[in-house]
Amino acid sequence: MSLSSSERARYQRHLALAEIGVPGQEKLKAARVLVVGAGGLGSPAALYLAAAGCGTLGLLDCDRVELSNLQRQVLFDSGVIAKPKAEAGRERLASLNPEIRVVAHALELKAANVRAVLENYDLVIDGTDRLSTRYLINDACVLLGLPLVSAAIHRFEGQVMTYVPGRGPCYRCLFPQAADGMVANCAEAGVLGVLPGVLGTLQATEAIKLITGTGEPLVGRLLTYDALEMRFDEFRVARRRDCAVCGDNPTITEPRDPAPPPRAAAAPGVRRLSAAELAALLREGSGATTLVDVREDYEFDAGHLEGSVHIPLGELPERIGEIAPGSAPVFICRSGGRSLAACEFALRAGIASPANLDGGLQAWASEVDPELTVA
Amino acid sequence: MSCTVRIASPLRSYTAGAATLSLGGETLAEVLSALEQRCPGIRFRMIDEHDRIRPHMRLFVNNDEARELAATVRDGDTVHVICALSGG
Repeated sequence: MSLSSSERARYQRHLALAEIGVPGQEKLKAARVLVVGAGGLGSPAALYLAAAGCGTLGLLDCDRVELSNLQRQVLFDSGVIAKPKAEAGRERLASLNPEIRVVAHALELKAANVRAVLENYDLVIDGTDRLSTRYLINDACVLLGLPLVSAAIHRFEGQVMTYVPGRGPCYRCLFPQAADGMVANCAEAGVLGVLPGVLGTLQATEAIKLITGTGEPLVGRLLTYDALEMRFDEFRVARRRDCAVCGDNPTITEPRDPAPPPRAAAAPGVRRLSAAELAALLREGSGATTLVDVREDYEFDAGHLEGSVHIPLGELPERIGEIAPGSAPVFICRSGGRSLAACEFALRAGIASPANLDGGLQAWASEVDPELTVA
Repeated sequence: MSCTVRIASPLRSYTAGAATLSLGGETLAEVLSALEQRCPGIRFRMIDEHDRIRPHMRLFVNNDEARELAATVRDGDTVHVICALSGG
């Protein structure tokens, strides 16, 4: 795939690099890269890949641009608020580099469509904000033999790693299992706006290296970044022979949607309540139920259930004495993950029959009270 | 015997925000016991009731993954606690 004269002018600084040159730039032009998630990570990754001359660039996201995105999602500006991210991003990338083809995928990746979407690409960048989607993408990439560059962020910290099937571990080798809600996401915990800029550009760097065959990719090496301490660490990660998808005897042979919330993961003795069940309990109990909200201060301040006691999860060990051992408290958080950890801790601390609000206040807002503000 | 334990940011609410702690112990199990004494509740976020490392947590001694709590920790080592992150 030869370069036109305008492309030679545009990519002159790449052509001047012996490690890339005309052959590397032609490989970039022929490459088809899918960026999943047009968020904090996907924004810089897509911008740099477009600028670098990645010939076909897919941008997948089913959300619309919100004002709170603009603190870090540099693909967008104030003029595209409320527009679909995939389309607004496509316009921005096409404007940055008209030489490339940008494909907007305004959809949510599911087991039913992941193969059909990914089959059109040579490499995938994962910048999603959901663990369930991370596993779906990883599994599909392993099954299709596609290289995957994955990064994730939290507050001031980020991780990036490159997975090349057959050459090293996959995401499940690193973290065999995780469920959304176990770890606070950016909306819950906050994130330094520039942080995904660092990680997203590292992802673009890895993609360019893989496409052009230059340098040493982060295969089998987890790179972590701590912005507060301004330090990078690197860890060796080996393929797991018992990995469910890339191991010697894989149990995952087709992409699959995530299992329902991990009910079985709770310790015996923890009660599980749906939003409707808790609503009924509160109606019948006439104020006798102890509600413990374990979210952070700003989340609690934005909106909470009336009568809730507020003990952030991190303070629970030292404040567990505030909960009467026989009160059978109901623990509450945003989506049900942190409260489940609180239940298990309470159980170990001698509190009988703690209950978890499954699905958290998000479920409460969708099933019981849409007026509740859930930060 | 003393090592440095570096804590993933999602667990720093247990360490009053501290990124690192200096702790004693000759195995990972002993280091985590010392960590639990200093920061009550943190061990259960990493290790389940069957003493298995939770599947969304990884522990590294220096740069190498430790898959068993019996892993040796030497004077001057750094134990890294890494957590799966979802943010994008």
